[in-house]
Amino acid sequence: MDTIKNYLETMFANLPNTVEVKKAKDELYSMMEDKYTELINEGKTENEAVGTVISEFGNLDELAESLGIDKVVSEAVDSDTRVLCQEEVIDYIRDVTRQRFTVGLGVMLCCFAMVGPILFSTIGDMIGREGIVGIGVILMFLLAAAGVGMFIFSSVMMSQWKFLQKEPCAIDFSTAEYLAREKEDNAILRGSILTIGIIICVLSIIPVIAFSTIFGETFPFLTEGIGPSMIFICAGVGVLLIIFSGAKDAAYDKLLSLNDIKTMAGDFEPVKKARKNYVNEYAKDFMSMYWKIVLCIYLIISFSSFNWGSSWLIWPIAGIIRKPLGRILTGNREGGETK
Amino acid sequence: MIEISSDVIRGYNDTMILFILLDEPSYGYEISKRIRALSEDKYIIKETTLYSAFTRMEKNGYVESYAQSAENGKKRTYYRITELGKQYYMEKCAEWNLTKEVVEKFIRGDK
Repeated sequence: MDTIKNYLETMFANLPNTVEVKKAKDELYSMMEDKYTELINEGKTENEAVGTVISEFGNLDELAESLGIDKVVSEAVDSDTRVLCQEEVIDYIRDVTRQRFTVGLGVMLCCFAMVGPILFSTIGDMIGREGIVGIGVILMFLLAAAGVGMFIFSSVMMSQWKFLQKEPCAIDFSTAEYLAREKEDNAILRGSILTIGIIICVLSIIPVIAFSTIFGETFPFLTEGIGPSMIFICAGVGVLLIIFSGAKDAAYDKLLSLNDIKTMAGDFEPVKKARKNYVNEYAKDFMSMYWKIVLCIYLIISFSSFNWGSSWLIWPIAGIIRKPLGRILTGNREGGETK
Repeated sequence: MIEISSDVIRGYNDTMILFILLDEPSYGYEISKRIRALSEDKYIIKETTLYSAFTRMEKNGYVESYAQSAENGKKRTYYRITELGKQYYMEKCAEWNLTKEVVEKFIRGDK
């Protein structure tokens, strides 16, 4: 039965997304389903049944008139929409995952950069040579530079996929189904990585508190050096995990949003489910840049107040308010039509 | 094996569908099944042909459609013939008789 559904969806993919077309598709599907069920009940094999149903389906050209689309059937053939094949889709997901990981590494290195000055200034205090902090500062710049390098490299990694933005692209029905399945399968892994990331961020404060309560002033290397450094190391690792956790979903959602809502391809069940109908373009842009905005706020607050100890709280808070905010901006419409 | 030419039969798909609807309202697959049975498997109407005939005849007022759930809970579109449809059917029958009469005159069994 999947083959039939697939066949029908593919046949209809390039037709305009109108009430008539949808009705025709449903009606034809219902007839094919009836025929298929009966053939199976008669004892035909699945392959035979599918073969018969498809060979007796007919020709879409015949429908043009009743669909009020005299020309679309022929137009659809020379449509310049590029349909991504399954291999491309898999490559794209892999590349997005790598790109996100690289960005995450970049952020992590930037966090690690802060460890240099902290550690070397405490070492300097201990051995009585303050000048040694210079090594820490150099280390900071090196790590920060490496981090920024990662950011630049990450954008180069995606250069071969620029066409997704420029040309009209689409995915076919079986790919859409595949993506929806993968997305569902990935949900648990994604949630686990995200949770671990957040937990590490939250726990990053523990070493400082632990060291200062246990050792007090006796081991300044631990309380002032290792402890505060651990905040940045944990935050770095945590943020890396948080960024990486959403990588695959970002790719799935991007691919599922390729299909033009004006065609029947935009009406595939998995596509409809993944589509978010934001109240307007600003809301859409805002939500797509959400985490970048949060990162900016985080860095601005942290660097201006130097209150790294509590500024990280913005991450869990931002994570929590994202869902309700998204819901408000979609105007509570559940996969409805925008027309 | 000789097959029915779709060009020839095209003008009479409506007639066949209306004939079946004369008895009682019906839905897509059942109509196609009955056409197949009545023609002794010699004519199998394609799904797209059937659907375009439905929409065309509904637009012309020959049939009316309504939704009804089958025993197994499946929602189907049923079609019912109208007075206008019956009239049209009679016209088509007369037209066919004439067509048959004319074409017959040019048909020879032998060579």
